Amino acid sequence: MKLRWDLVLLPAMLISLALLGTSQFVFLTGSLHRDLGMGRLAHTLSLDNYTELASDSYYLTTLKLSIMVSAIATALTLLLAFPVAYIIARMKSRWGLALLAAVVVSSFVSIVVKVLGLILIFSANGPFNKLLIALGVIDAPVSLIGTLTGVVLGLMHYSLGFAVLLFYSVVITVPRSLEEAAQGMGASRAGVFRQVILPMCLPGLVGGALVIFNVSMGGFTSTALIGAGKVLTIPVVIERTMLLENNYGTAAALAALLLITVLVINLASVAVVSRIRRGLIL
Amino acid sequence: MTPFQHVRHRLSRHLINGSILTFAYLFLLGPILFVALASFDYGQRAYVVFPPEHFTLDAYRHIPLKYFEALWFSVKVAVACTAMACLIGIPASLGLVRSNLPYKSFLLALLRVPLQIPGVVAGLAFLQAYYAIGATTGWYATGTFWGLAIAHTFAATPFVIGTLVALLQRFDSSLEEAALALGASAWGTFKQITLPVLKPGLFTGALYAFMISFTDVPIGVFLTGPDHVTFPVEIFNAMQFDFEPTILAVSTVVTVLSLACVLLVQRMVGLDVFVKTGGAD
Repeated sequence: MKLRWDLVLLPAMLISLALLGTSQFVFLTGSLHRDLGMGRLAHTLSLDNYTELASDSYYLTTLKLSIMVSAIATALTLLLAFPVAYIIARMKSRWGLALLAAVVVSSFVSIVVKVLGLILIFSANGPFNKLLIALGVIDAPVSLIGTLTGVVLGLMHYSLGFAVLLFYSVVITVPRSLEEAAQGMGASRAGVFRQVILPMCLPGLVGGALVIFNVSMGGFTSTALIGAGKVLTIPVVIERTMLLENNYGTAAALAALLLITVLVINLASVAVVSRIRRGLIL
Repeated sequence: MTPFQHVRHRLSRHLINGSILTFAYLFLLGPILFVALASFDYGQRAYVVFPPEHFTLDAYRHIPLKYFEALWFSVKVAVACTAMACLIGIPASLGLVRSNLPYKSFLLALLRVPLQIPGVVAGLAFLQAYYAIGATTGWYATGTFWGLAIAHTFAATPFVIGTLVALLQRFDSSLEEAALALGASAWGTFKQITLPVLKPGLFTGALYAFMISFTDVPIGVFLTGPDHVTFPVEIFNAMQFDFEPTILAVSTVVTVLSLACVLLVQRMVGLDVFVKTGGAD
């Protein structure tokens, strides 16, 4: 008897699509109804919410801020995570596995706990400020709460772990013998990096960077807590508009904007990575 | 290069690598350790002193009951979410990999769409969907156990599917054919061959599903009601509105319990599956 695997798939597929379809359909149509206040929506369809987003400088500033903060966090995460992944991938001892295990294990710790720790460490009475004052770098303690720097740190902390795992899986695809061969033929370490490692890791690096950017654009918990109502990114504004101001239509339009941004970046990343792989770019 | 220069060269490289690793891991793990450290210094103040002024377990003795209630609620939601994610994810992955349907990669991409949806968008989408369903049926799922568990299932199922599909694609199905040819029943083959092979992926996927639900804030912020608040949302609210030193203690308890869970699963299936599938974030 041959099992009909397509029939095994069918119910699971239908449930998944129902969850996806219902949730996304309701809010996307909701974004097309104008807010009347008190959580009520107009009955007629219109693009009013979107024209409001496009014309109100508050939302434009929010979008620009989100993109800026995410771009900086992505660049810094990349600069830290790639060297770490590379060092671990080239370790000859069992330490490499232990370091990877530490990353994996830390990814299971609740994000609120991590943000709590970050806030404590970087608070005015925290060890970071004490260290800087002791070293004479600063005179008075600086607080990162409610600042862009703090929000960027929070986003970096959020994506560093999986960025290291991601880039590790990229670096181990480059055979070590290739680097040794290049060195044996007289290439300097910088030359090996520029001419062997970088070209071979480029698709993974670009793809990874776009994933980090997307995750940062959607980052809510750390930004809301560290930003403390002063750094307003799209996810934070969505939550406020929906739960504090009860403007369901505007909140839905903002969510649609965020969703579309993220999906477009994803499609672009797939396209760019495949073009790099085929040697069409660079 | 003289031998001396060679040694110095290697030494400086070790030094640079060592500092990069130290910096990255201090940044990554420092906050978690610091919360645990600070939890032993209990004072009636809204901030933490470092280095700790005293060592006491007072913060642990004064943990308010609401945190344990929230913890218990979170565990129940996460268990329901894990069960539902597996009930959808196992047949979906088996069906997808084994069937000879056209457009398989498109179907898989469709199943993985929730991974791309930011938590805030998912939370808002489910809240508005529950309002709409409530307006027509009279039953509002907002702020209920199942309302939250279903939204978490939506976010967690792709992780179960991801780990299982990765495993199944490497699985040699001739093993199953051999068992069937040697006279084993279909159920016997599933139990004796398929299930043991799937076990690591299943445990890993289930652990991801559990942790997605258990650590979620953005979806929970939208869907928890006044009577049912999950643990991370309770901590999130406490950090926004009323910082108490006891949240350090209860956070440390939860961190230790989470790590114990990970260790348990690691004992059963090994850690390399995690590394291959890439963290829970």
